[in-house]
Amino acid sequence: MELEAMMTRARRGLREERRLYVVAVSSLAVAFLSVGGALLAMQNLSRLADRWGQSARMTVYLAEGIEAADRTQLQITLESLPEVASLRHLSGAEAREEFLAHAEVDSSLAALPADAFPASFEVELAAGTAPARAATIAERVGELRGIDDIETYQGWHERLAALVRAGRGVAGALTFLVLLCVVAVIGNTIRLAVARRRDEIEVMKLCGATDRFVRGPFVLEGAFQGLLAAVLSVLVLMAAFAALRGAFDASLAALAGTRTVFLHPALLAAIILSGGLLGAAGSAVSLRRYLQV
Amino acid sequence: MAKRKEGARPFAFFRAGARADAVSTAKPILVLEDVYKYFREDHPTLRGVNLVVERGEFCFVTGPSGAGKSTLLQLIYRKHTVDAGRILFCGRDIARLREKSIPFLRRNLGIVFQDFKVVRHWTVQENVAIALDILDMPRRLVRSRVGEALERVGLEGRGGERTENLSGGEMQRVAVARAIVTEPALILADEPTGNLDPHLAIDILTLFEEIHATGTTVLFATHDHSLIAKRNHRLISIDEGRVLEARQGLASWRSDAPPAPAEEPVTPADNPRPVLRPGLHAVS
Repeated sequence: MELEAMMTRARRGLREERRLYVVAVSSLAVAFLSVGGALLAMQNLSRLADRWGQSARMTVYLAEGIEAADRTQLQITLESLPEVASLRHLSGAEAREEFLAHAEVDSSLAALPADAFPASFEVELAAGTAPARAATIAERVGELRGIDDIETYQGWHERLAALVRAGRGVAGALTFLVLLCVVAVIGNTIRLAVARRRDEIEVMKLCGATDRFVRGPFVLEGAFQGLLAAVLSVLVLMAAFAALRGAFDASLAALAGTRTVFLHPALLAAIILSGGLLGAAGSAVSLRRYLQV
Repeated sequence: MAKRKEGARPFAFFRAGARADAVSTAKPILVLEDVYKYFREDHPTLRGVNLVVERGEFCFVTGPSGAGKSTLLQLIYRKHTVDAGRILFCGRDIARLREKSIPFLRRNLGIVFQDFKVVRHWTVQENVAIALDILDMPRRLVRSRVGEALERVGLEGRGGERTENLSGGEMQRVAVARAIVTEPALILADEPTGNLDPHLAIDILTLFEEIHATGTTVLFATHDHSLIAKRNHRLISIDEGRVLEARQGLASWRSDAPPAPAEEPVTPADNPRPVLRPGLHAVS
């Protein structure tokens, strides 16, 4: 019954202060959207970094005009290495074709001749090959005849790992800021609502209402605001992801053989739940000083 | 409902569900012993107030503005705490009540204010029902008891109206209905006629007398001498924080020869309304 009375009063509060709450929920949804967006970016960057870290690869660029016998010898040598999982020869024409298929290029680049792209061996190293071991292999292979250059992508991987680390820091800071923002926005909204409903609180306290009875509906209102804002932000994030993933997927598939993924359902549930909890907490904290009657 | 730990708090008596024992009901409903209240260090608002109010008394509390009438009532419903002395409500020292127990004290009181303190955007029904909602009473019982209270204050059938559409006198009736709907042991009325014209003031006073006639103790603070002169209730006069008895109360009437009243006081026997059960509030 007490809960029923609280729910009734919370519903009335939401109805009577709907304009105030619409503004608050919009602000909170933007805040949650920032966190959701940061988490989504982080998740995909981490995935990319993991993928690169797990499947070490190298591209062995062949010298221009390499003899067929040298190329075969080189292939045999590479295949004999225990760390090499697979090997694929790519001619200049095939390299040009792949480049044009995966990269969005303008007409001037598309007009490049096939000999602008060097022939290469695409080497896939066995899973678990350490970056240091990959560098040693590259050094040894580089001494063989008929090789122009070797790309181990170590630099890329390091840059990506640094980007992921920085991203994690930014996401953490953003999450902390959003927590503060949610508590502050809900706290201020509830404070405004309380100021407008002080007479109600006074009447209830004078009739013998406990703090729990008075606070209950406001806490429910705060929880509802937080929950609604979090749900809205998740929906907007899903819509934005669906609209934009096509643009990213092609590039990611070409670069790392991976695709973008959305946040895990458990993480989405955590965002929504934390919205409700933060709303309730912000409301409870902001009410304390208004309960002295 | 789970059984409450009655012995866990010194003032479990005031908690919902608690019933007053025979010893408590035999004591005066209110005793103030040497009560001091300071809002300024050098100037006490109440100084050494001693007062006994018996069950079933109707007392006017009067005095000029700033004399300490409202402070006296505020100490009883624990808006403020005494700085010295003690206040016994049914034998329990409410001045020493812990914060958590104050709501349970207030459930035994009905409080009416000069500025009505009704929620204007609520309906009449909601304004009265809130006192019972707090007691966690079943909805059906709330409806019937609110209906009864509205009938007693002359607002039957108007529960659905928004309170802001009522006149001042009607708003005060709503406040009175809210104060009596829980059938409290004591009603504190702090200048309840202060915002009303003289005709309405008499109406409201009569309403309080009808409530008193059912056995409820009433402390009625007013500085309106024309109102006091019309009735022969006990008169507690406060001036500069000191209490002077201008007219004696029940205890004296019982021990001495009863004084001839200027006007016939309303007694329970005179009142044709069904008698409610005033007393320490107990939730069924």
